[in-house]
Amino acid sequence: MTNDRRANASRNISFLIVAVVLGALISLQWNSPLPSVPASHERATELTIQRLEAEQEELKATIAQLRSQLDAYQQQSTARTKMLEEIKAQLAGQKLRAGLLPVQGPGVRVVLDDGAQRMMPSGPGDYLVHEYDIRDVVNLLWMAGSEAIAINQERVVASTSIYCVGSTVMVNDTRLSPPYVIQAIGLPDAQSEVLRNPSYLRDLKDRAARYGVQFNVTKAWNLKLPAYAGSFIIRYARPGR
Amino acid sequence: MKSRTAQIMLAAFCFALGLLLVVQYRTQQVARTRLEGMSSADQATIISNLVAANAQLREEIASLEAQVQGLTATGRTSLEELVDELNRMKIINGLVEVSGPGVEVSIDGNISALDLQDMINELRNAGAEALAINGQRVVVSSVVANDDQGKLTVNGVPLEQPFVLQAIGDSKTMQTALLRAGGLIAVFEHSYTGLTVTVQQRSKLVLPIYNQPLAFKYATALEQ
Repeated sequence: MTNDRRANASRNISFLIVAVVLGALISLQWNSPLPSVPASHERATELTIQRLEAEQEELKATIAQLRSQLDAYQQQSTARTKMLEEIKAQLAGQKLRAGLLPVQGPGVRVVLDDGAQRMMPSGPGDYLVHEYDIRDVVNLLWMAGSEAIAINQERVVASTSIYCVGSTVMVNDTRLSPPYVIQAIGLPDAQSEVLRNPSYLRDLKDRAARYGVQFNVTKAWNLKLPAYAGSFIIRYARPGR
Repeated sequence: MKSRTAQIMLAAFCFALGLLLVVQYRTQQVARTRLEGMSSADQATIISNLVAANAQLREEIASLEAQVQGLTATGRTSLEELVDELNRMKIINGLVEVSGPGVEVSIDGNISALDLQDMINELRNAGAEALAINGQRVVVSSVVANDDQGKLTVNGVPLEQPFVLQAIGDSKTMQTALLRAGGLIAVFEHSYTGLTVTVQQRSKLVLPIYNQPLAFKYATALEQ
């Protein structure tokens, strides 16, 4: 019966081990820190924290995405800024050429004024400065290589027409009255040479000699011309074909 | 029989042991995620911190979104505005090919440089936005002149008859201005013999680029 007894002994040992572990576990479980608040409230708080944490993760992901987007745009923007600067520089050059900036430089000043009526003109207009006189002087000044021209305070630009209404000279749709002071920036020698050339402005020079119409040309070293103040309305013309 | 009872008891013990192990394990897990031993005051602090942090994150997002918008929207419009302005200036200065409706004035016969220049002045007065004569773009400084052979020139380039002026603008206004009684064409017909001038409205004209743009040598921009 030794076998039977040995089997009994080993069974008792198993029981003992299981009982000890069981006892230990029960005491551990008993001592586990259990919430002191009611379970439902505990669960709600926990869910709030989890929700806020999930939200935080989402927000951080959005920020990361926006930062990389912004980074890309900023790189583009640097390129765009360079392009903007280039366009601004081009625009300044174009505005200078178009007459939209006040300018200074050497050139000539031409003064045209009506003669005194007492000089007994052959016709009613002989002692007057006409709009075509101004036009002819302006054209000769362009021909002599002028870069900028103003009549009194009106800058001559691409849309400028010089015409008259009755006996009033209009430039840029603005009434001008004599004396007409034409300032032109350019090379003074070339400008005055063209104006003095006897084959040009024959009629004006003749009336100046006979009826006292004033036509004076003086070279100047620092003329200041105003900017064109009117509008450039482009309604019909489009760039390209 | 005795050994059978013992087996059942052992099985019951093992079941209880397994159950307790699982319960104990889960208790430990829950305690860990709940930040063991946290008081409700601590939990409130955690929540209010999270709420504040998330509010700041939202502010950051708003600011980033504003920056992105600023870079895209305003950047684009200011660039577009500048390009539009540059194009307008180039049209005015003749530095770009242009197209549009307008009139075509054909002058067949001998005419003086001054009278041809007056025709340009008249078209400008009637609102011409862009002009050309025989393929030469007329800009502010373009002048009709005579060359050594007595030929008419524009921009220094000799012109052949007929002289064809093309003007982009309101075609009706320009045609009316030229054809009115006492207008320039009437004056020409009175002062010239054998000169034919015709005006036609065109729905589309294409004017070439001005090809002699010289940089200014004398005029400089004044500080405003």
